Amino acid sequence: MRRRFGIGFWLAVGWVGVVLLAALLADLLPLYRYDETLAGPPQTGPSWSHPLGTDGLGRDVLSRIVYGARVSLGVGVGAVLLGLLIGAPLGILAGYRRRAADAIIMAVNDVALAFPALVFALAVVAFAGASLRNVLIVLAVLGVPAWVRLIRGATLSFAEREFVLAARVLGTRDRRILWREIVPNVAMPAASYAFIGMAVVVVAEGSLAFLGLSVQAPTPTWGGLINEGRTLMETAPHVVLVPSVVMFLTVLSFNLVGDRLRALTDVRESGLEPVRQVTVSPMPVAEHQVRDTLLQAEDVRTHFATPRGLVKAVDGVSFTLERGRTLAIVGESGSGKSMLIRSILGLLPGSAVRGGKVYLSGDDLTARTPAEMRSVLGPRLGTVFQDPMTALNPVRTIGTQVTEPLRVHRGLGRKEAHAEAVRLLASVGIADPVRMLRRYPHQLSGGMRQRVTIAMALSCGPDVLFADEPTTALDVTIQDQVLRLLHQLREEHHMAVVLVSHDLSVVARWADEVIVMYAGKVVERGPAAEVFRRPRMPYTQALLQAAPRLSDPVHHRLREIPGRPPDLVDLPPGCSFRPRCAYAQDRCGQEAPPLVGVALANGAPVNGSGHQYACWYPRPIETAIAEGAESSGR
Amino acid sequence: MAGSGKSHLRPRDEVLLRVEDLVVEFPAGRGRTVRAVSGVSFDLARGETLGIVGESGCGKSSAARALVQLPPPRSGSVRLDGQELTALRGEALRRTRRQLQMIFQDPISSLNPRRRVREIVGEGPRVWNLPGDRVDEVLEAVGLDPATAAVRRPHEFSGGQCQRISIARALILDPEVVICDEPVSALDVSVQAQILGLLEDLKARYRLTLVFIAHDLAVVKNVSDRIMVMYLGKVCELAPSADLISRPAHPYTRALIASIPDGGLDLPPSDTLISGEPPSPVDPPSGCRFRTRCPRARERCAAEEPQIRQVGADHWLACHYPALPDVEPPVQPAI
Repeated sequence: MRRRFGIGFWLAVGWVGVVLLAALLADLLPLYRYDETLAGPPQTGPSWSHPLGTDGLGRDVLSRIVYGARVSLGVGVGAVLLGLLIGAPLGILAGYRRRAADAIIMAVNDVALAFPALVFALAVVAFAGASLRNVLIVLAVLGVPAWVRLIRGATLSFAEREFVLAARVLGTRDRRILWREIVPNVAMPAASYAFIGMAVVVVAEGSLAFLGLSVQAPTPTWGGLINEGRTLMETAPHVVLVPSVVMFLTVLSFNLVGDRLRALTDVRESGLEPVRQVTVSPMPVAEHQVRDTLLQAEDVRTHFATPRGLVKAVDGVSFTLERGRTLAIVGESGSGKSMLIRSILGLLPGSAVRGGKVYLSGDDLTARTPAEMRSVLGPRLGTVFQDPMTALNPVRTIGTQVTEPLRVHRGLGRKEAHAEAVRLLASVGIADPVRMLRRYPHQLSGGMRQRVTIAMALSCGPDVLFADEPTTALDVTIQDQVLRLLHQLREEHHMAVVLVSHDLSVVARWADEVIVMYAGKVVERGPAAEVFRRPRMPYTQALLQAAPRLSDPVHHRLREIPGRPPDLVDLPPGCSFRPRCAYAQDRCGQEAPPLVGVALANGAPVNGSGHQYACWYPRPIETAIAEGAESSGR
Repeated sequence: MAGSGKSHLRPRDEVLLRVEDLVVEFPAGRGRTVRAVSGVSFDLARGETLGIVGESGCGKSSAARALVQLPPPRSGSVRLDGQELTALRGEALRRTRRQLQMIFQDPISSLNPRRRVREIVGEGPRVWNLPGDRVDEVLEAVGLDPATAAVRRPHEFSGGQCQRISIARALILDPEVVICDEPVSALDVSVQAQILGLLEDLKARYRLTLVFIAHDLAVVKNVSDRIMVMYLGKVCELAPSADLISRPAHPYTRALIASIPDGGLDLPPSDTLISGEPPSPVDPPSGCRFRTRCPRARERCAAEEPQIRQVGADHWLACHYPALPDVEPPVQPAI
């Protein structure tokens, strides 16, 4: 996959390339000799024969810069490579072998890092003599501890990955694991650091040269040029300015290249990352009636512009929800189920384009600004997410986090809030709430953390509780406790619950109504019992038969849905499920099926239950039952 | 429950893999020790699939890694086809690796992002100096098109396809035993069914013996001949799959089944069968490790660790006060 580096990166690469080439080919270029005095009148500015002017002794500044690059870049590249040569094996050894090798190497390394580097360099160069070789060795040695640390960290992070374990299980020898599995992965962060290291070394060499402790005159180096020119600042500023600018640009370029390479290793782009600042005209909202209901979603759409194309994460979802009911939204990854509730809550990234309307008791939430949403989120709409750790602040006690919404939204005093927090935690089944308030999130188990986030969601008595995969991260026995709790709290608080889940068995047990999503669209909806007993849309049916059940016989062959989940930027025309559907016909590839109600052959609805599906060729009710029975009884 | 003992092991000559008194411990800092697996024994007949089920922290994954000696267990014996693996080190241990392969939970993390599929799958033969001409065959066996798949890198595949590549990598060495550590937990339901079906097909085609580890009892039941239930590093119950699900006797097994929505069984609600949260494996309870959450626990459970004993045909249990029916329960509930 081609990744975009941006123009800055290529300019930086170009500059480094030009400087490097000039330094390498200096002898072939039509330049004055760098030490030829009175090649032109001293201290003159740029002219045709001396594009960058001359210095105090009439030497050509361009020539001195180019030859100076040999020293500056030579030391930069040389010291970094030498440091890498010494540091990388040590870092890999420490990171891969761990134990004693790690302890010793890192202890020595930490001591080395504690040395004041520049003082050390000055002392050594002053003592051993200022020569290119000495400067290079000193700067390389000074860079070693940082290399060891970097390489060890990268090695460690990869050595613990399962592909390394897999290689060992295959019987691969350590040497081959290092070269084949670890080194290629460590190479990229190392390359990125090498460029940043070169920038540091070029500056360090410049500093030494400025102090006269690098290569001795007449061999030019950039730091030395700046030093020489400083006395001419007033009469011929270009003598100082030119090497300064060249050095500045080179250091900047090294850093830029290094940073870009690092960004490359950090994120693996899939081409579906939303593009920022796109202007898409707001989507028109279809005519609709605002109903007298607790929560009404009308034609909700959430689109993202990405480098690969428009992603319709949510594409026209409508529903209504009453108090005391649980609506489940089910679907596999990429179906848009989580994006739908984020859309309803107004918790979308700035790059999303949102369409449709959401009404809470007839009040249009989509017309509100993020600031205005704050008075609704919490007091009226509670949220519980999959990972309770991300919902809790790790450095604050449970007490401060539970009492904060009570004080902000309900205006309780410190003591009242504390008492209320104790009551809330007790209500979610926490045995010792007073002690719990003093603890930190990391001290709790996953189940306890989820109970705390539920307590927080309930603290302001919301009308609707949104639970996005609330038990996916929990163990089965804990999952059951939490779902039971949610159900019981719904009754006690007389709220409505929106439960998002990929787990059909959870939904079947706890939901009143269900919406099945596929590729951003509702493909089937209705009363949970009805949808699960008599699924009409082939996807729902296949999904039900694909999930193993305890009541199935051992070695029961599950129904397999062929193919893979749809590519959201490249959906097939017509019905999105068509490529994976066993019952698809020509029409499915031409027209997207609308969501229609269940009807008998004579056109009369089966019941008033509101069971709807989006399919041109729905499974007949009898077949659905028969196939369901066949699949579970085989 | 949560007991020790070896009475359930079959005669040595009947089994391919025999694990005795496996103990896995890790340092937990400040001189403390995580007791991940504490005296677990089980065996595996050729061609059999043993399911190991339990919640997080029960030691099932630690046990799996101890089987492949990565890292070797603190103590205990792992005998593969008569050969004691725990006694081997270095090159001698490496020579046994072909026979024991592993499939991991995270399909992305278990493939090297910088290598192409052909190199990943062909690594085994290259290491063992075998002809690499089977790469296409195993890729086809796991349902990937060798012509297009082999030259691509892992990030170009979906989670389910990555898991297929992992399976191909394990299969190419013709292992005796494949250990599957939560192989479908990270996958969507529809893809999970594909991988479970694929494992069953491959098991028949290559006559594999499987250890199938998962936290989802329904998934484990689907593929396993026998199921071993673990809790906090100990064995609770071991029985043929259908028997374990229809006649669970250990209080923890019963709680586990009752916690599954739509379990289809006539058990009381799970909140009457289990309470609270699992204790820390750093400081496990005395006696039976499940007693702190068990509604049936009495004094004896704290004082004395239950030993594994037989309660039915090939049905084994470690519990002082199991929920054994006086009469055989009626029939398996019809769906």
